[in-house]
This record gives sequence, C-alpha cells and structure tokens, in this order.
Amino acid sequence: MTKTNLRNKIKVYFNELKDNFNEPGKKMKRKRIIKKLVISVFRFVLLFGLSFVILFPTIQQILMALRAPEDVNNPAVIWIPEIWSFKNIKIASVVLDYPKALLCTTKLSFISMVLQIASTALAGYAFSRLKFKGSNILFIGVLLTIIIPPHALSLAQYLYFIDLKLVGKESSIYLMSGLGMGIRSGIFIYIFRSFFQGLPKELEESAQIDGAGVFRTFWSVMLPNARGALVTVGLFAFVWQWNDTYFISLFEVSHGDFPLLTARLMNAAEGMYNALFITGGINLIGKDIWSNPLFLALITNVSALLMMLPLLIMYLFVQKQFVESIERTGIVG
Amino acid sequence: MSEKVKKERKFKSYETQKKIWAFIFLAPWLLGFVGLFMIPMLTSFRYSFYHLLSTVDEGLVLTWVGFDNYYNALQVEAIGNTFFKAELLATLSEVAINILVIIIFSLFIAVILNAEFKGRAIVRAIFFIPVILNSTAVVFALSSGEAMSGILSGDAGLGKVFDLENYLLRAGLTGNMVGFINYLISRIYSILALAGVPILLFLASIQSIPRHLYEAAEIEGSTQYEMFWLITLPNVKPHLLTVAIFILIDTFISSPLSRYIDGLRRTQWGLRAAMSWLYVVVVALILIILLAINKIFKWGESHYD
Repeated sequence: MTKTNLRNKIKVYFNELKDNFNEPGKKMKRKRIIKKLVISVFRFVLLFGLSFVILFPTIQQILMALRAPEDVNNPAVIWIPEIWSFKNIKIASVVLDYPKALLCTTKLSFISMVLQIASTALAGYAFSRLKFKGSNILFIGVLLTIIIPPHALSLAQYLYFIDLKLVGKESSIYLMSGLGMGIRSGIFIYIFRSFFQGLPKELEESAQIDGAGVFRTFWSVMLPNARGALVTVGLFAFVWQWNDTYFISLFEVSHGDFPLLTARLMNAAEGMYNALFITGGINLIGKDIWSNPLFLALITNVSALLMMLPLLIMYLFVQKQFVESIERTGIVG
Repeated sequence: MSEKVKKERKFKSYETQKKIWAFIFLAPWLLGFVGLFMIPMLTSFRYSFYHLLSTVDEGLVLTWVGFDNYYNALQVEAIGNTFFKAELLATLSEVAINILVIIIFSLFIAVILNAEFKGRAIVRAIFFIPVILNSTAVVFALSSGEAMSGILSGDAGLGKVFDLENYLLRAGLTGNMVGFINYLISRIYSILALAGVPILLFLASIQSIPRHLYEAAEIEGSTQYEMFWLITLPNVKPHLLTVAIFILIDTFISSPLSRYIDGLRRTQWGLRAAMSWLYVVVVALILIILLAINKIFKWGESHYD
C-alpha cells in the first residue's frame, strides 16, 4: 500500500517536473539563464587569460628582482626566491643613478606634460569652437604632424637647435611641447578638438549672455567640463615623455648633471659590464657573481623594472579617474 | 530699437573677439608648426638630394648628388645584415596584419569591456597597463638580455605551460594556419600594447551609442549577436578609419624600420633623410588606400543618416 502510494507520488512529482520543463515560458527563461552563464564563463576565461598575459611578465620580473644575486641560475628557484634580497635593486639603482634620474625624469615629464596640455588644449579649442576662414585648412597641418614621422625632421631640427644653443638642455623638450610639436601633440589636438566639438552649444551661448568673454568662456565653462579629455591627454603626455628615447637622444638631453631613466637604461643595456664598472656598482658584489653573464642580464632586467615601477604606481592612483574618464571623454565625438 | 542695435553690435563684437582669440589660441601651435615643422621638413627634403659633410672650419658642406641617396637607400646600403627594402617590406606586411588583427581584437575587447559584469573596473585598468609600459628602452633592455630568456624558456615560459602547437595540429588544422595562430600568440603582448588606444577609442565610440536602441532591440527579442551586427557595428563604423590610421602610424613608429633608420651613423644624414622620405611616401600610399577603401565601403557615414 505504502509502496504504490510512494510510487504514485513520485510519478505525480515527475509529471509535474516534466510539465514544468516543457512549459514555453519557463523554457525560454531557462534558456536565457544558460546562455547568460555560458557567456559569463566564456568572458571570465578570456579576460582572465588576457589579464594573466599582461601581468605575468611584470610579476615575474618583480619576483626575479627579489632573488639573492647568488641564486641567479639556481635551478631550484623558479618563482619564489629562496633568499629574499634587495641587493639586485641596490646595484641596479647605482647603475641608473636612480634617485637623481628619477627626480629629473619626473620633472621633465611633468613640465612637458603641462606645456603639452596647455598648447594642445588651446589649439584644439580654437579648431573646434573659434572657427574662422581657413581653419579647416590649418587643421590639415595638424594631420600632417601626425602622419609625418619624426625621423623625417630630425636632422633639420637638430641643426636648428644647435643654432639656438638648445642642444643638451632640457629646455629643448619644453620648447617642442610648449609650441605643440612635442611627442604626438597632433593626436592630443585631435582629441581636444573632437571633445570640445561634442560639448553643447548652449554652454557657450549662456556664458556669452552672462557677459563672459571668449577666454572666460573657455577657462571657466569649457575647460572644467573637459576633465575627461584632460585626464586622458595628461596621462598619455606624461607616460610618453617618460618612455621617450627618441627626442632625448636627438637633443642629447641626458647627461651627468641631468640623468634620465630611459637614456641610462639604454646605455646600461648596451654594455652592462661597462656600466657596472663606471658607476662603481661592481664593488658591491664579488667577482664570482659579476663574472656570470646571467647576473648581468638580471641587473638589466631589474633596471628596466625600476624604470617602469614609478609609472605603474602612478597609474594605480590615477587609474580610477582614467577609466571613468573614458566614459565621458567622447574622444571620438 | 536701439536695444536691438546694441545687442547686434555686442554680438558682432563677440564674433570679432572670437577671431582675435582664435589667433591667440593658435599662436603657439602656429609658431611651432612653421618653425619646428614646416621649415625642418622642407630642409630635410632638400638634404635628401645632397651629400652632407660636417667640417670643423666650414660647417656643413653640401654637395648635390641628385637621386643617389634614394638609389642607395633602395639598392645598396645595408646595416648589419638587412637591407632597407627588406625592412620596408617586413614592416608593410606587419602593418597589413596589424590593422586587421588589432581592429578585430580591440573591437571585440571593447564590446566585452562595455558590458556590465563584476570586476569590470579592475579588468579595464589592467588592459591599459601595456600602453603605459610600452617603452622602447624597456623592450631594448629586455631583448638584449638574451641570457634571461634562456632562464625563462627553460622552466616557466608561457609556451611551456601547454603545448598548443601540437594540440592544434591534432585538432586538424593545416600547418599554415597553426603557424599563423602561433605567430599571433607569440606577439600577444605587442598586440595588446598597440591595442590599448584602439580599445579606448572603440569604448568611447560604443558608449556614445544611445541606450534606447539596445532597449528597443531587447524588447523586440533580438539576440546579443544581432545587436552587435545591427546596432554596435554600424555605429562604430565611422571611427574605424581613425583607429586604422592610428594603428598604421603606431606600427610604423615602433617598427624595426624606424630603428633601422636611427641606426645609421650620424654622418650619413643625406641617406637618412632619403630613407625617411621613402618611409613617408609609403605611409602616405597606405593612407590613400585606406581612404579609398573608406570611400568605397562608406565607412565614414553612419547608416542612420
């Protein structure tokens, strides 16, 4: 009796489940849930994989930097250092003349960033909001500066700067940035132009009715609304100046009194032994270690890390604003 | 009446004021454009037809050599063991692959990063790291450490994590295909580095698409796939050209070709100028091709117009 009862119960339950399963509304809902799940799993795998590819070399470099120099080709040490040590970093910072070079590079990048923002924002605003006859023809000039590579101009610029007695001075970089011919200034002008174009005309008109002049409109109404573009351009200008090797070496900006990280790194990478010898970094370590080519490679690696680390730390702080700024930049208009 | 005149005069003065300020705003750029761009450009164009010799007492001595520099660049001169034309061809094929691969890749990533999901902010932040760390000096330093890659490939290199090549071959793909996939994977970091700004551009472009289009599509019951092809892609299309031009310029600037030109000795300025101008001509040709494609397929126009 109880057995059939139970069997009936199961049967009823099973039928219910079956009906439930075949009901079109629920079927669709289930289908959607499965689809969503598949998409999010796929997305997770893809994004996780790519993030891994991006972060992997840097993490590896950091771990390698923290190995003791004696362990450089210890086959037992792959990931986690056996003996944690800051010795590699110490030697690399001697090679790079780190504190001083860091200060000089930061100063150069910061001033050039401010000048770049100023010159390109003004030009971008003029090209988008203060149109006059021929301004579109002038804008072709901006496109030309984007398209023509710096190599085509380098010699003439170099000779010109010799005449101006600017070669070997940081002011050569400032002059280029201040006059809107710095690293990729053309792209920045393009970004600012399309951004200002996207701002509503009413903003300008209401400012004008309230009695603001052109400059006042630009300074107190348009610019505060352009924060997204300012953050984007500022970040790129700073980073590209920091990483620049081309103009630095063309104008011979880096020298003993004004060392720059990129130039020191390039120099060191070309001949690590010489760099160690000249800077005296070699005295910090025994001969059995510096005669190992792997150790020299390791120091090169650590030097590269030391150059990138300040940028990474800075990015950690501005990252949120930068990512948010994308939402509002309207770069492409 | 007088009020109206006054207003009109005020408006007119605003217009003239605008012109004056336009000039003031553009002054630094104009100065730079003429002094630091146009004049050096013309000078370097002139130099490409000369042989330059830097002497102590007479300064720069120019001798007219006609098209010799161009001929040398294309036929004779070699640095290390490569020729200029070989580097040029290599860069051209790189550009062709890059434009296609990066446009597809960055559009794909931009669409994914635009969707709502947990941890989106972190992933977005991570994706722009390669743009920040993309430095010639770092690349140079790491590539010169050949010994280091020896350590890495031995035990912890990415390629050793799983044997992809073998797996793909067993899956029935042809050798060429596997080679191409392998090539892309080995270049994933440089692709990511170049894709940062295109992702940014696409993301901004996708975000400017009005939300109600997607809402309407959802109510009509269209799938994500249809939404991509019928809403996202047509709206992104006008910006494809911008992205393509950016990739073109970026690939050329970071290509071995640039390093080849920079590698010339400082005395060979004429040759260097000639090579730079050949480079400009090639970039201009590709640009014209891109513009022509743009005209033919009407990329530049949104399909809602």
